Amino acid sequence: MGIFVFLPLVLPLTAWPVARLAEQRLHPRTATVLLTGVSSLMALCSTVCLVLLMVVGTAQLPGNPLPDGWSDPEVRASVPHHEIAGKAAIPALVAVFTGCLCTLLRHHRVRRRAHEALESLPRTEVAVLPDPRPYAYALPRGPRDRVVVSTAMLACLGSRERRALFAHERVHLAARHHRHLLLVRLAADANPFLRPLRTAVACTTERWADEEAARAVGSRRTVARAIGQAALASRGAPVPALAAFAAPGPLPRRVAALLGPEPAVRTWPPLFTAVGLALWTAATGALLSAMFSANSAVTLLLLLHAATPW
Amino acid sequence: MTEPDPHRRRRAQGALETQVLAALNDARGPVTAGWVQEHLTAGLAYTTVMTVLARLLAKNAVTRRREGRSFVWVSASDGAGLAALKMHRVLDGEQDRRAVLARFITALPAGDEQVLRELLDQAGDEG
Repeated sequence: MGIFVFLPLVLPLTAWPVARLAEQRLHPRTATVLLTGVSSLMALCSTVCLVLLMVVGTAQLPGNPLPDGWSDPEVRASVPHHEIAGKAAIPALVAVFTGCLCTLLRHHRVRRRAHEALESLPRTEVAVLPDPRPYAYALPRGPRDRVVVSTAMLACLGSRERRALFAHERVHLAARHHRHLLLVRLAADANPFLRPLRTAVACTTERWADEEAARAVGSRRTVARAIGQAALASRGAPVPALAAFAAPGPLPRRVAALLGPEPAVRTWPPLFTAVGLALWTAATGALLSAMFSANSAVTLLLLLHAATPW
Repeated sequence: MTEPDPHRRRRAQGALETQVLAALNDARGPVTAGWVQEHLTAGLAYTTVMTVLARLLAKNAVTRRREGRSFVWVSASDGAGLAALKMHRVLDGEQDRRAVLARFITALPAGDEQVLRELLDQAGDEG
């Protein structure tokens, strides 16, 4: 398998250009599905390769639980710099699994606690909470999908903008955006090079919900106004965790996109455009990742099979 | 001696507020702070209960009126007020809630505010 076992670890870099361009140049639905798919595939391949490296790394450790044949020189020779790479793969794999586990636990904890908080309310689709802080979000699963919105958020919007807000949140729920978001988060935990894709998908899901909401209420301008008014009303409210976005931030970009022309629903852009090239680069990267990891897995399995006495 | 973590302290306060409000919601009518203290499982000091009630009063989550020499307290809202307080705790407690809660709006950095206002003016003019 040689050097090829390392490549899926760095091939996520080929998806950076498309992560950067997708939000502006692709239809948000296409961008979300595509980036989530590429991200998940690359994360899977990179984890498979880490496991392969880990097997080689563990087999050389004294007192390991693996069959003796696995520390065969031929197995070790299949990975260049196996002493370093094999041993480095062990903590890396531990970090990957811990990170993914924490993400999953946190995901379920937030969702469970948010549903618990709403237990005392009637089970309507929209839960309105008397709260001086403006917020609105889609809360998936639980007893039922719900849209949670505070009275302060409703107070800063007109009736058409409120319809836009509810339409936006319903799209999040209907399109199961939380699954896309969870997948890219897990992928970013599996390989830090996939973090730009996580950020990009967070933006494209919002854009997707914006565009669908605009169709539902029949006016892109209304959705733009709703976002703008809500954002201006809630500035100064403590919103942690998202302060690190580079200017211009995602909110003005969303509003500007809605004020501009509607994005074309075209699944695959022409090759000789920036986004077309970026897309092909990412697709090639994903394909190579899959090939290299599959090839490495088969090679190692055959080597191990040959080296195992039974 | 170290300073208590302000974040942790706020969460603890939030927990007390939800407990006190839940007790008031269970009460059949206006009750005194002493009643609340007796019906809390946490075994809080009377002064603590008073502090929590005062904080809830400031948030308009409870109302009070004078009856004889002391106040009686009523929960101002139905389940919604309690739900809002609990939701507050979820939002405060989780720094990284983006994965679950796709929010309508995110933080608006200072520099973006001007950009956004100009865009909105544009939307208002043409729309």
